[in-house]
Amino acid sequence: MNLRRFRDRGRKDEDLAEEIASHLAHEEDDNAARGLTPEEARRQARVSFGNPRVVRERVWRYRSLPWIEDAWRDLRFALRGLRKTPGFTIIAILVIAVGIGVNTAVFSVINTVLLKPLTYPDPQALVELRNTSAQGSFPGANIPKFNIWHQQTGIFQQVAAYDSGGAGMNITGGDHPEQVQGMHVSADYFAMFGAPVVTGRTFSAEEDSPHGGRVTVLSYGLWKSRFGANPNVVGSTIQLDGEPYLIVGVIGRNFVTDVPVDLWVPFQFDLNSQDMAHYFTVAARLRPDVTLPQVNAQLRLAADQYRRAYGQNSLPPGGGFGVVSLQESTIGDTRFPLLVLLGAVGFVLLIACANVANLLLARASARKREFATRAALGAGRGQIIRQLLIESLTLSLSGGVLGLIVGFLGVRVLLSVNPGNIPRIGEDGSAVSLDLNVLLFTLGVSILTGILFGLVPAISASRPNLIATLNENGSRAGLGFRSGKFRSALVVGEIGSALVLVIGAALLIRTFMKLQAVDLGFATHNVISMAMSVSGDRFQKTAPVTQVIHDGTERVLAVPGVLGVGVTNCLPMAGGFGMVFDVVGRAKGNSPFTGGAGFYSISWRYFDALKIPLLRGREFTEQDDAAAPEVVIINEAMARRFWPKGDPLKDRIQIGPGAGPAFAEGPRQVMGIVGDTHDGGPNRDPIPIMYIPLPQMPDLETALNSGVAPLWWIVRSQVDPRTLVTPITAALRDASGGLPVAHIRTMDEIEARNTARQRFNMLLLTVFGSAGLLMAAIGIYGVMSYSVQQRTQELGVRMALGAQASNLRNMVIRQGMVFTLIGVGVGVGGAFWLTRFLAGFLFGVKTWDPIAFVATPLLLSVVALCAIWIPAKKATRVDPMAALRLE
Amino acid sequence: MPQPADLLQGTLDMLILKAVANEPQHGWAIAQRIQQVSDNVLQIGQGSLYPALHRLEYKGWIRAQWGSSENNRKARFYSLTAAGRRQLNAELENWSRLSGAVNLVLQEI
Repeated sequence: MNLRRFRDRGRKDEDLAEEIASHLAHEEDDNAARGLTPEEARRQARVSFGNPRVVRERVWRYRSLPWIEDAWRDLRFALRGLRKTPGFTIIAILVIAVGIGVNTAVFSVINTVLLKPLTYPDPQALVELRNTSAQGSFPGANIPKFNIWHQQTGIFQQVAAYDSGGAGMNITGGDHPEQVQGMHVSADYFAMFGAPVVTGRTFSAEEDSPHGGRVTVLSYGLWKSRFGANPNVVGSTIQLDGEPYLIVGVIGRNFVTDVPVDLWVPFQFDLNSQDMAHYFTVAARLRPDVTLPQVNAQLRLAADQYRRAYGQNSLPPGGGFGVVSLQESTIGDTRFPLLVLLGAVGFVLLIACANVANLLLARASARKREFATRAALGAGRGQIIRQLLIESLTLSLSGGVLGLIVGFLGVRVLLSVNPGNIPRIGEDGSAVSLDLNVLLFTLGVSILTGILFGLVPAISASRPNLIATLNENGSRAGLGFRSGKFRSALVVGEIGSALVLVIGAALLIRTFMKLQAVDLGFATHNVISMAMSVSGDRFQKTAPVTQVIHDGTERVLAVPGVLGVGVTNCLPMAGGFGMVFDVVGRAKGNSPFTGGAGFYSISWRYFDALKIPLLRGREFTEQDDAAAPEVVIINEAMARRFWPKGDPLKDRIQIGPGAGPAFAEGPRQVMGIVGDTHDGGPNRDPIPIMYIPLPQMPDLETALNSGVAPLWWIVRSQVDPRTLVTPITAALRDASGGLPVAHIRTMDEIEARNTARQRFNMLLLTVFGSAGLLMAAIGIYGVMSYSVQQRTQELGVRMALGAQASNLRNMVIRQGMVFTLIGVGVGVGGAFWLTRFLAGFLFGVKTWDPIAFVATPLLLSVVALCAIWIPAKKATRVDPMAALRLE
Repeated sequence: MPQPADLLQGTLDMLILKAVANEPQHGWAIAQRIQQVSDNVLQIGQGSLYPALHRLEYKGWIRAQWGSSENNRKARFYSLTAAGRRQLNAELENWSRLSGAVNLVLQEI
């Protein structure tokens, strides 16, 4: 914009004044020439010209940006006004800061988890391959599926398999063996994700084929910590599980994986394998020009091909293959909870807005004379509204800046309270950052709140009754009936919203208590678990694993204070394997198998270590080894579901029919029934589980198992097991020939982690609910105090006429409680409708839980009563004489 | 005396430019001249004359200089710039096209 016309405005205005004087002089001369008297000539010249000031103002305004200048003037005026009432200003800004702060905090998490694209190049093209069925779509793949998907080059640029690295690998050969996360990947993994290579290269196709040699790619972190970021590390070897692995490359620091990874090794699949076990994930990068219908059509053909090759039962009836965007898959089921959270903080913000609007209305009514005076001096409605809106925007933007700080500290505190497996937020929420999205969100919310809480007070203030107000004595008069009603409505709304939040919090608190009360079916107190990786060549057969278990169990039992030791390939509440089975001799009907169940391989002392009770039959003994008859123990849920009438102990079951050569074994006699365990966490019903002795696992299954899962050692002790970690790990290292352990956690911690999400939700909603409750209490206190102040005169008259103090007090309380009860009614109604969105968060509690719906309104009413009590008390102290003299 | 007519939007600029086209004029004289030449049909309100002069000056179509008027009073004289002359010609052409067209339509109906 050309600024020339704004320059020298003062001088140009003087010029214009002079010019106008000259104009008038000419007009005067002309009039005089027509024979008028000098006085008349002068007068007429002025009359015909009009007010010179108007002309000057018009030119002045042309030389200015009136909008910005007026706003700037209003802003200075607003700041001056706000400085003059620091109490009001501070409270308003704090309330807004809390409201905006919690919204910023929750939005910054949503931004990180839901909105930001994945950090890989062209992330929209990345999809996860899924197994589809009538029940939904599930991740997971076996080698034959990977092989078929890999051949779909018409729709996929790259297809890559990867696992979670959960089995762990041991870096050996140094003084301190260390367990690391070694992720298995297929060769195209790095190219598909566009992983940056710092030095060296990634795996070749040859290296990813059977007998491709031992090679590894290091993560930036491991390269730095273990090799001091030495660039010459490529070409050297690292000892993994006792074998030398050639380091071929190092991946850059910014490469993000779902789970932390220290190094990568190639899967080296045999693509002719008939192995039906699903133990990895497959993702693909779509070709740029393909559409989703094309992909689905192609995958339908692939599923048909799969069925032809591996039998009709290799896929469930109506099942097939599909894709889902990798981002969606990563986000998983966190979207809805986060949006519910955003809804909850939205309520907090609404309450904050109502509160500030109320304060502003009270303030506006005290400034009524000021507005009337301005209007009398010629200010238009628009100008008064603009000035008040600028005032409220000043407040909301200051609150927003403070809210940004509050929100940013808040989110750190929040996420340090273990939110329970929110994807993509990084270590302790380190990925949650302040970016442009968050800043824009906070700015937008600030402006919106400023308008929201400022508009109504501004409009009502801009409608002054000039004569009435200016004639009133002092600022006592209210803003009139309309705004009084509006303030009451605001308070009712505040109470209602606060009640919705508090009822939500009550439901979640009740949920958490119910979860804590669930008997998990196994001991968690004084029990510790640790993972021993058996991924190397040494453990490709069952016998050496059995040996390690035997020796380790003996040695750990010898540690003073240890009461029980068990080993398993699936840790309770940490995810496990499942397998189909047939009951030998039972007709199968329509389905290909009798059913499916959780599938644990355990050591003979496992039930004792976790105090899982034996209900019938016998437990495993050390004699149930590879040479002994094959046996299985099932849990109660399995007995109930699959033997509703018969006796399972009389039956034999065939585990994993058709699951491929790794699971080829004979039928197993059911030897016992044990109690149920809440393996999926306390909020899930116990699932059917079958347990087999680890020593009876087929060799091929052991080889597969060692590659995907560690051995979990579970130790129960007399004392706090954390004090025994050193002797236990030492004993295990001695017994295993130097294998380290990792992931050392007590079962209490694992349980806490399982309920972390619920605890997190409960804490959040309790905090939000308390904030809402507090603001609502302040709100009703404010309205009632104001009302008492307004009615001082009336109260004085009543007193003079003989009303007792208690009458006056009760009158105020009655009025306040009417607001409260209307608010409670609104809140209960709102909560009744809104708590349905909490249904997925609840456990053992109905969304209309009578305790929550009765106790919280009571609590809120009591809080409101306390808030009303103070102004009510004040009403009784009105001095009738003083009140009347105010007139 | 005929009723003063409202000035068509935008014609004031053209009239001012035309009024100063031949020789420099000061504000009062411009108003007088337009009024006289138009037989008192066009009356320029002072409320719009001076803002218009300053706007045209800012646009660079006229330039102003202090001088003395015929009756020896100090006055601000406006004269046409080269850009102003181009603008005036463009506006005149535009105006004759428009008025011609309007006349045609009026005769037709």
